[in-house]
Amino acid sequence: MSRQRKQEDNGPFKRSVDTPSSQHSKRRRLFETDENMSDNSVDPNRRPNFSNVGYVQVGNGFSRNLNTVQLKPTAAKKIVIKNLKSEPKLPEDYRYQTWEKLSSAVLAIQQSKSNQYSLEELYQAVENMCNHKMAHTLYTELYSLTETHICLNIEQFLAESMDRFLFLKKMNETWQNHCDQMIMIRSIFLYLDRTYVLQNPNISSIWDMGLELFRKYIVLNTLVQTRVVEGLLMLIEKERHGDKVDRTLLKSLLRMLTDLQIYDSAFEQKFLQSTERLYASEGQRLMQEFEVPAYLTHVYKRIQEENERVIHYLDTSTKYQLIHTVEKQLLSEHVTNILQKGLDSLLEENRIDDLTLLYQLFSRVKNGLVELCSAFNAFIKKRGRTIVIDPEKDKTMVQELLDFKDTMDNIVQTCFNRNEKFGNSLKEAFEHFINQRTNKPAELIAKFVDSKLRAGNKEATEEELERLLDKIMVLFRFIHGKDVFEAFYKKDLAKRLLVGKSASVDSEKSMLSKLKQECGGGFTSKLEGMFKDMELSKDINVAFKQHLNNAQDLIPLDMTVNILTMGYWPTYMAMDVNLPEEMVKFQDIFKEFYLSKHSGRKLQWQPTLGHCVLRAQFKAGLKELVVSLFQTLVILLFNKYDELSFDYIKAATNIEDGELRRTLQSLACGKARVLLKIPKGREVEDNDKFRFNNEFINKLYRIKINQIQMKETSEEQKATEERVFQDRQYQIDAAIVRIMKMRKTLSHNLLISELYNQLKFPVKPADLKKRIESLIDRDYMERDKDNPNQYNYVA
Amino acid sequence: MSENSRMDENDNDKKEVSQEKMFTLKKWNAVAMWSWDVECDTCAICRVQVMDACLRCQAESKKDFYGKQDCVVVWGECNHSFHYCCMSLWVKQNNRCPLCQQEWSIQRMGK
Ligand SMILES: [Zn+2]
Ligand SMILES: [Zn+2]
Ligand SMILES: [Zn+2]
Repeated sequence: MSRQRKQEDNGPFKRSVDTPSSQHSKRRRLFETDENMSDNSVDPNRRPNFSNVGYVQVGNGFSRNLNTVQLKPTAAKKIVIKNLKSEPKLPEDYRYQTWEKLSSAVLAIQQSKSNQYSLEELYQAVENMCNHKMAHTLYTELYSLTETHICLNIEQFLAESMDRFLFLKKMNETWQNHCDQMIMIRSIFLYLDRTYVLQNPNISSIWDMGLELFRKYIVLNTLVQTRVVEGLLMLIEKERHGDKVDRTLLKSLLRMLTDLQIYDSAFEQKFLQSTERLYASEGQRLMQEFEVPAYLTHVYKRIQEENERVIHYLDTSTKYQLIHTVEKQLLSEHVTNILQKGLDSLLEENRIDDLTLLYQLFSRVKNGLVELCSAFNAFIKKRGRTIVIDPEKDKTMVQELLDFKDTMDNIVQTCFNRNEKFGNSLKEAFEHFINQRTNKPAELIAKFVDSKLRAGNKEATEEELERLLDKIMVLFRFIHGKDVFEAFYKKDLAKRLLVGKSASVDSEKSMLSKLKQECGGGFTSKLEGMFKDMELSKDINVAFKQHLNNAQDLIPLDMTVNILTMGYWPTYMAMDVNLPEEMVKFQDIFKEFYLSKHSGRKLQWQPTLGHCVLRAQFKAGLKELVVSLFQTLVILLFNKYDELSFDYIKAATNIEDGELRRTLQSLACGKARVLLKIPKGREVEDNDKFRFNNEFINKLYRIKINQIQMKETSEEQKATEERVFQDRQYQIDAAIVRIMKMRKTLSHNLLISELYNQLKFPVKPADLKKRIESLIDRDYMERDKDNPNQYNYVA
Repeated sequence: MSENSRMDENDNDKKEVSQEKMFTLKKWNAVAMWSWDVECDTCAICRVQVMDACLRCQAESKKDFYGKQDCVVVWGECNHSFHYCCMSLWVKQNNRCPLCQQEWSIQRMGK
């Protein structure tokens, strides 16, 4: 007999709906609801199988009969009316005969024999006996009949040895029979249940009486109970080992324990203990045998299986403790171990699915996510450090940082459920490791941006570039010495602006506004000043061209000048070189022109930054050469002479030795050799001679001859850093004055903490103190007369 | 014009060109750096370089940074120079040059 719990929701009587009028059925339903509540015990979860009555009825022969009988509640009222009139006399032996009839029916049911009386007749008999004050006797007789029958059943379970499985089968059969019989008996004695039992609160319903007797005589027997429970545990253990077991049997017997109210005391405790033992040892063993991903998959499978066990046969009340036990033994106990053994390689290999599973499993156990998060943080710090710390890897540092960030971001997004704590921890870890190496990451990030903003870089579209810049800004945000970044960024920006090498003005402006947004206007003011200088220079050049129209005796030279504001731009080596007479003339005219417009200024020429376009006549034809000023100075010498020595060129141009050698190299040893070096060779030696290469050929008309850049020496880098540190003094001063001006009066500690909020670079408290002292000396602020720890702004 | 761009040099390390000159300068983009024409880079009052805005102006940290143009340099008759901002505050208390104690009078202003 398969029983389905779903049926429980429907009252036992609801199935018998074949009633004529809807009004009738409505009334009946009201009645039933009430009856159900009083009939069945209070706890809905613990409600006995009684509810299955309806289902059983459908299956057996007299269901229809029974249904009509069950409509009797309305008839019960009629009886009350009848009673008011008169009471019919009963025959003397009525009680005896009727009971004979009923007891034979009960015995027939108990022995699964056919019954000679109709159900209607038996029901009527019970009703009559009840109405003639024989209810109590009837109940007592029925009780002893049931008791006797159940007692007979015990013997078969006490046999010395019995196959455990057969034992369970037999137990189940006996239980099922008991239930079936009690249902049938109850339908005969329904009237008794609804009158006598209802009126006497201490008397159990017929169904409950059956349960109590079954409990008392069968399952409370120590031996039987042990055998049942051990049998059940054995079946479950077999299933946990992967064998197929009879789940229906398990379900039915466990249901029996629930109905008999010994599920908790007899079974659940032992079941949980054996679960704990099993998974404790399995966890220990598999942590040794399996790699972490396989282990996690196994744990996941186990949890699934146990959940299914609850669905299929365990009582739902066991679910929480069961799953908790599994999680504790397979996960909680091994959290540290799992993370130590497997997390790094999962992250390293970007094992998305495994990490997702890890997160999901760890989120089930106490502290699991906290531990995972801190191990994740430690991994980023360790791995990130290897990216930034090794000078050998400087070339790839920024790209690696970007990739690393992408990967970790993706893991937080995809595997760690966008958990904010993980996101924050990721940021904290990046900020930590990126500052493990002072200044270098800032410098390399600046250079990386330069490589992307420079013309000819591979990021095809502006949108792509924009996205990349956004990602770089994320790295930038982590950098403590933001002014170091600015210094190096400025150097490259200057090159891009002056050589016209910038890929896109929009991208330049966009990067600038990102920096401004991040660090404020003070941070970008000088960078913006550089752009402004470029624009002002355009205006000046237009005016200068007009000015030149009035001048006389000049070669037709198109001269433009970029005027840079000192302080905005990087500082360049000052160099005096010899220019041809005409160039000097142009320079002087410009200088005079400029200073007439701007009084109080002086101009310093920057020959290292100048560049020219030359027209060149070779045997093969006319070419245009795009060259630096130094290259120009050298080339122009060859207008007069076919061959010149290194020494002569050096003296004639006054170009600094190293710079000159590189210049000659670019002209005589590079791709476009407009000069020939004698003797041939890569390096320029003191005794070398140079010749005009009249045979020069090139398929292009306009040829750019790249100046060979001196490798940035570590000294230069140091100089840049040095300037950054000097600048910091001014920035600290300005910040102090700014804060004091706003607050007027401030304690030392508050001032220091505000300064830390404003300054974009790391600074020691002692340095801040020094600056404060200096500002007090200069009367920007003063110590409060009454409180030496307080400062007042001096207007 | 070809005559103009020749350099007049006499040296043993060179061989004269037989033909007309081969290279002509067509375009020149020069670069120059401007700064205030001052004897001392630093303003003695606020001790910030005169090329930078004075300390007070920096502290303002104006949104429009080009406001820096307002923070110009001023020269006294003594030829000492300061931020105009710094000096105008200074003379309110003491109308002498902070460096040489001469009576302060403006010689010229930066532009
Ligand atoms: Zn000043
Ligand atoms: Zn100012
Ligand atoms: Zn003076």
